[in-house]
Amino acid sequence: MQELVLIQPGRVAEKEFAQQAARAALRREFEECLAECGPLAYRVARGVLHNSADAEDVAQEALLRAYRRFERLRDRARFRGWLVRIAFRLAIDRTRSSKRREARETLWSQSAPRPSTEDLAAASEFQAHLDRAMEELPEKHRLVLLLAGMQGHSLEEVAEMLSLPVGTVKSRLFFARKQLAEKLRCHRK
Amino acid sequence: MPSKMKACEEHRTALTDAAAAAIEPSLELRSHLGGCPSCCAAFSEELQLFAAIDTGLRATANSEVPASLFPRVRVQLNERPVARRSWVPALAAVAAVAVLIVAIVFVRGFGRGAAETNPQTIVAAHNDLPASTQTSAQTVVPIEATSPSAKIRPIRPVETVSGAKIEQVAVLIPDGQKQAIDLLLARVRSGKVGGEVLLVEKPEKTLEELQISPLDISLIEIKPLEDVSADSPSQDKNTGR
Repeated sequence: MQELVLIQPGRVAEKEFAQQAARAALRREFEECLAECGPLAYRVARGVLHNSADAEDVAQEALLRAYRRFERLRDRARFRGWLVRIAFRLAIDRTRSSKRREARETLWSQSAPRPSTEDLAAASEFQAHLDRAMEELPEKHRLVLLLAGMQGHSLEEVAEMLSLPVGTVKSRLFFARKQLAEKLRCHRK
Repeated sequence: MPSKMKACEEHRTALTDAAAAAIEPSLELRSHLGGCPSCCAAFSEELQLFAAIDTGLRATANSEVPASLFPRVRVQLNERPVARRSWVPALAAVAAVAVLIVAIVFVRGFGRGAAETNPQTIVAAHNDLPASTQTSAQTVVPIEATSPSAKIRPIRPVETVSGAKIEQVAVLIPDGQKQAIDLLLARVRSGKVGGEVLLVEKPEKTLEELQISPLDISLIEIKPLEDVSADSPSQDKNTGR
């Protein structure tokens, strides 16, 4: 006894159409996140690398990775936190693998003139010393410093991004600032 | 004075903590600052240092995003769309490997079966024979394949020193004789034994013609019945009956 099978050619097309529509919706949603969180990824990378070109590369890679996982990261808060962490991690990895670090260390070891405290903030040397001092901080302190230093980020937002209690963020920020001050004060004397 | 200096040291630590935490000093500290110009100057310096740090941090953390970032990301997104996880490629790869393995097994099994069914694939000649003995490898020493587990090597042509191509053929060695053959070949290679030992001709077993001797049948005498009855006592005597 033969069994008759009814072929429905329209179903395949419908399925493809639905998939395309889902992809388009995903892309639109990601574009919104890109506009909102893209600068965050770049600034985190820039804060670690102190180099615009490298930071752009790292931010691009972080955003592409985020897009690949976007279906699981549609929650905006989760997305921001994930993006910050992945950008920070990629930037740290790039710093470690880069030979430029040695050049910066050589620069750091050279004795600089001793400007007054008022002059330090404006001086580019101070910024270089600050960058170098930040590199010596523990990673968890550095990330908190960067995020807290960004405009519009309250400590609560930083805590939410990093999935940490606010008290932990405050504590890390306090110790990070103190360590920075010690390093820069020693250098100044 | 030493007690005042000690108090200043303790207060300075507290003042630094207050500056680091960006909070207003406590009432006790403020009262001390009012009466201690050196601590007041130190605290002022600390505040300036932290202000400089904050300025530098803000400059680092709020750097301008280059305009080329988003177009670059979009180009990459268009070139590398989201790869959905699918088992199809993995299954296809596994299936391809499985088919390949089956094909190899089938081809090997088929070749072995063909060799076993071919009665002429019984030859002895070692692949690594010295050049002096390779020419004589054309003559083969038959070894009976008595074991089904005997190994067969594929037949392949080999060029000798003289340039003549010989068909180097497989060796079918029964399990029990492998060690002896290896020993013999090792001796041939080392020159202790000449290659001619391999050239023993197979003794031709020819069937002898059957010699059929003609039947020796004695002539039968035919006698009338009366004679037979008359002769019967003598016959009984002869037969002993």
